[in-house]
Amino acid sequence: MLSVDVEVDRRDFPVRVALEVADGERVALFGPSGAGKTTVLEVIAGLVPPRRGTVELNGRVLAAAAETFVDIPSWRRRVGLLRQDPGLFPHLSVRANLLYARSARAAELPALAEELGIAGLLSAMPARLSGGQRHRVALGRLLLAHCDALLLDEPFASLDAALRRSLTALVKDLSSERAVPSVLVTHQLSDAQAFADRLAVIDHGAVLQAGGPDEVVLRPASRRVAELVGYLGFVPAPGAASGGTAGADVVAGVHPDRVVAGADPDRGLVVTGTVLAARPSGAGWEADLRAGDAAFTCRLPDRPDGARVSVTVLDPPYFGPDGALAAEQGRDDVQGALDEFDAAAGGHLLAERDHGEDKRYRV
Amino acid sequence: MGAAVIWIALLGPVITLFVHLSPGDIWTALTGAGDLDPLITSLEAGGVTLAVLALLCTPLAWMLARDRLPFPRVWEAGLLMSLLLPPLVIGLLLVFMVGPYTPIGHILGWMHQSATNTFLALVIAEVYESAPYYVLGATAAFSGVDTRIEEAAGLLGDRPRGVFRRVTLPLAAPGLAMAMAVAWARAMGAFGAVVIIAYHPYGIPLQIFTTLDETGLASALPYALVLLVVALPLPMAAYIWSARAERRRRG
Repeated sequence: MLSVDVEVDRRDFPVRVALEVADGERVALFGPSGAGKTTVLEVIAGLVPPRRGTVELNGRVLAAAAETFVDIPSWRRRVGLLRQDPGLFPHLSVRANLLYARSARAAELPALAEELGIAGLLSAMPARLSGGQRHRVALGRLLLAHCDALLLDEPFASLDAALRRSLTALVKDLSSERAVPSVLVTHQLSDAQAFADRLAVIDHGAVLQAGGPDEVVLRPASRRVAELVGYLGFVPAPGAASGGTAGADVVAGVHPDRVVAGADPDRGLVVTGTVLAARPSGAGWEADLRAGDAAFTCRLPDRPDGARVSVTVLDPPYFGPDGALAAEQGRDDVQGALDEFDAAAGGHLLAERDHGEDKRYRV
Repeated sequence: MGAAVIWIALLGPVITLFVHLSPGDIWTALTGAGDLDPLITSLEAGGVTLAVLALLCTPLAWMLARDRLPFPRVWEAGLLMSLLLPPLVIGLLLVFMVGPYTPIGHILGWMHQSATNTFLALVIAEVYESAPYYVLGATAAFSGVDTRIEEAAGLLGDRPRGVFRRVTLPLAAPGLAMAMAVAWARAMGAFGAVVIIAYHPYGIPLQIFTTLDETGLASALPYALVLLVVALPLPMAAYIWSARAERRRRG
């Protein structure tokens, strides 16, 4: 079990994170660049000291900056860190790299090399390896070192999508097999979803939301989280929220992948808007739509037909004027209110950020 | 074309040396009793100088490269000052620093040593003339080693000393070898400081100077050839070894 509850001083803003990862569990810290994700990993690895709090691994206190001060040096922490640059030792062969750790057992090498697909490369020098092979070697080096926790700092960000998928699957299998807690840091939501059992959205040094990957994406706790997980527009949804929220200020989050063409009120919120632009995207089309003052982007299987189209936003999250996820009313109430709102051509659009929120999540 | 012109121009003095030397001159100059003593003195003093540099200056270079020293610019400025002082001036100042009538001179005296006109004085002069070149070269060599690779080694359970021995030193070694080669060349050719505080025992540069002074240019030239022949192998070996290490890394 990896347990982290720390505050770290940084030049721009402090990072405050509480995190618990069970053996064999995989957690992804997802957020924009500079949010403080890597700082969390560096604190766990012993490369950055915390200002306050503790880091514990399997009951061992690795760092404590509270009543007592503990700072176990990184070389005694038994924590493996895999970065985007795999950091292979360029003067050593693949075999020597894999067996670098004093705790590495040569007897385990052949089977692991086979599993990682690098058995034929053991005598090669790192400079001769492809990007994917280097990452496999770096991963093997960590596994042979028998680390008690695996930290992954956007390790595959520079690789192509197919290679990234296969390596993510490999790490996922190996971390489960070894039953070590794993923490992945990434700004690619798809990587986080592919890897993690739990997802924590981090921004400006604070965890904004934590939960299952589906839960975080489908029910973001705030508009800021929604923006971070890919919602590309917010349409007015007056009457959507219950609990006395000012109706006209409630908005529905539109995720471009959660939109279908046509009006289907049984499946979600129907929005009729003007097509501002449409461009091919993958196997379909990406369209920018405007409904009243609100604009949003959606992906549709076919090119939008005509200047004005209706789309259905599938089961959208609603946000109150404070930016927080609002409790929902019946879909019919929402749709009725939206129709009235459309008729009046009112409403407003996104981008109010809620960095001031001091809610802390234990991940 | 330009490169060839520069290369030949730089080689000009060496070519001139060979043009003005005959096998007879070399034989006559180097076969007398004690004629090779300056060569042995230079090699011994150069070897001791390199050992001193490796032992004392390598840690300094590492600390400079890794920002482990407070006020690093002050340390760098100190190095540059010793680099910018003309060797002759260094020699004069060394007399005031370690000469027989100074506190250090007295301490050395109690130990039955002297830092003027002794082998120790020769080594001191060579260290002062070559150390800044070695430290600057070694600092650059250490700076070229990615600290993230060192961190990776630490996270694999290697202690800092082990990381230095197994990662930092091997990766910096080609650069260190080159710095050592430059320092060796400086030490073997050291003259300015040497002529002030270590006129005796003669190394090769002083032998050249005194022979030129006493018997003329022709009889001094064979010693120049000897200096070239004994000073060249180490830098050449460093070059070759560095190139091989680089090739090996590239697989």
